[in-house]
Amino acid sequence: MSKSKNNNSKSEMWKLSLTLMVYTLIAGVLLALVYQYTQSRIAEAELGNVISSMAFLLTDENGNEIVPLDEVKKTVISKRSEMGKVLYEDGVGSVLSPVYEFQTEDAKYYIVSGFAVGYGGNVVTMAAFKLDESVGELSLKAIKVLEYSQETPGLGAKIAEPFVQERFYPISESGLKAGLKVDKDAGKQNLEPEEAKQEGVVKVSDVMTGATITPRAVVNSLNTMYKFMREKHLGGGQ
Amino acid sequence: MSSKLSEFTKGIIKDNPTYVQVLGMCPTLATTTSAKNGLGMGLAATAVLVMSNVVISAIRKTVPEKIRIPIFITVIATFVTIVDLLMHAFTYDLWKTLGLFIPLIVVNCIIMGRAEAYASKHGVVDSLLDGLGMGVGFTLSLVLLGSIRELFGNGTIFDITIWGKAFNMFVMILPPGAYLTLGLLAALFAAISINKEERAKKVAQAQQAQQTQQKAGEVK
Repeated sequence: MSKSKNNNSKSEMWKLSLTLMVYTLIAGVLLALVYQYTQSRIAEAELGNVISSMAFLLTDENGNEIVPLDEVKKTVISKRSEMGKVLYEDGVGSVLSPVYEFQTEDAKYYIVSGFAVGYGGNVVTMAAFKLDESVGELSLKAIKVLEYSQETPGLGAKIAEPFVQERFYPISESGLKAGLKVDKDAGKQNLEPEEAKQEGVVKVSDVMTGATITPRAVVNSLNTMYKFMREKHLGGGQ
Repeated sequence: MSSKLSEFTKGIIKDNPTYVQVLGMCPTLATTTSAKNGLGMGLAATAVLVMSNVVISAIRKTVPEKIRIPIFITVIATFVTIVDLLMHAFTYDLWKTLGLFIPLIVVNCIIMGRAEAYASKHGVVDSLLDGLGMGVGFTLSLVLLGSIRELFGNGTIFDITIWGKAFNMFVMILPPGAYLTLGLLAALFAAISINKEERAKKVAQAQQAQQTQQKAGEVK
């Protein structure tokens, strides 16, 4: 009697397991098909985002292209396979490959990407550094925050706003050397945004109240990028 | 026809998922920092809710009772992943803005709640209407909550300036603001329904009194 009961429950368990397996298999196949269908579009969308961000960084104050868009596209596509590898880490932030270089008549521009930990995950920033070859000064020209999806909407995610990002640049080399800081950490909340930039301080306490961790992550990644550029990429054996 | 219509409309006020059923509190509190965020979360959840309700209703007779929950979760998670992939591929900017919200839909208990309480017991058309109604109710609730928080926290609704920064109470955008607004709105919904019930009771009493009077008159 108990044996047949045992057999019954065993066969029921088999039946349930098989049913569940069939459902998960169908779900798996469906997801694989959708993934297959969207994979190339997703890669294209990501690439498009990199190109448009870079085009934005390589535009001057008057809205003119510093580097022609076609050249930007070509460079990004040619370095596609190198994307996303970690080139350098300093314990606070990381720099991602590749580093793009653009030579213009009056200066050399470097586009560097890097990340540091924010409130909910990594905050990835792309930055344009300008090397004035005549005096050897490396300054921060502009930034664009690429990945902030884990930051709190309405708080940390405000970092996406262009007027917030404008608070981070331009910064001259003297400001970068001392290490960029957010105004709260530097104890300089009373400075005007432009004044703050000259001292290597990013004033965000008025536009991102209640969210210090996200701008701090951006600042940390920028410091790591500057260090990498000076010590590894440009400095080499110096 | 009217019963079909009520399947749809019940989710908007009478059985509103947020203020009446008090379901899906996690995304409600977390994502309503602005009206736009509320709308985005509401629409994404509605899409998943409608699709999962239809599929769960269609397969309900083949699902063994004991493993219905894992199967429902598989269906819901599959749809959430599909929505995530499609949005990533075709609406990149929107996908970026909604970021964290989309995977959050998997743990939205409105979807699981409707699958278990409704779709697994009703036909496909009814389940579709139920999903749509609950989705619209959820979206409206989030937009209402988001608008109030955005208005008092930032002086804007859908990024349109309503008043200057002078009235801003920053706490409204922070988590306590979510609890405060949700509590007040839930109280408002409760007050409305209590009021309605009392009025209905009074009407019923008046009718009864009239009937007894009439009866008494007839007897005389």
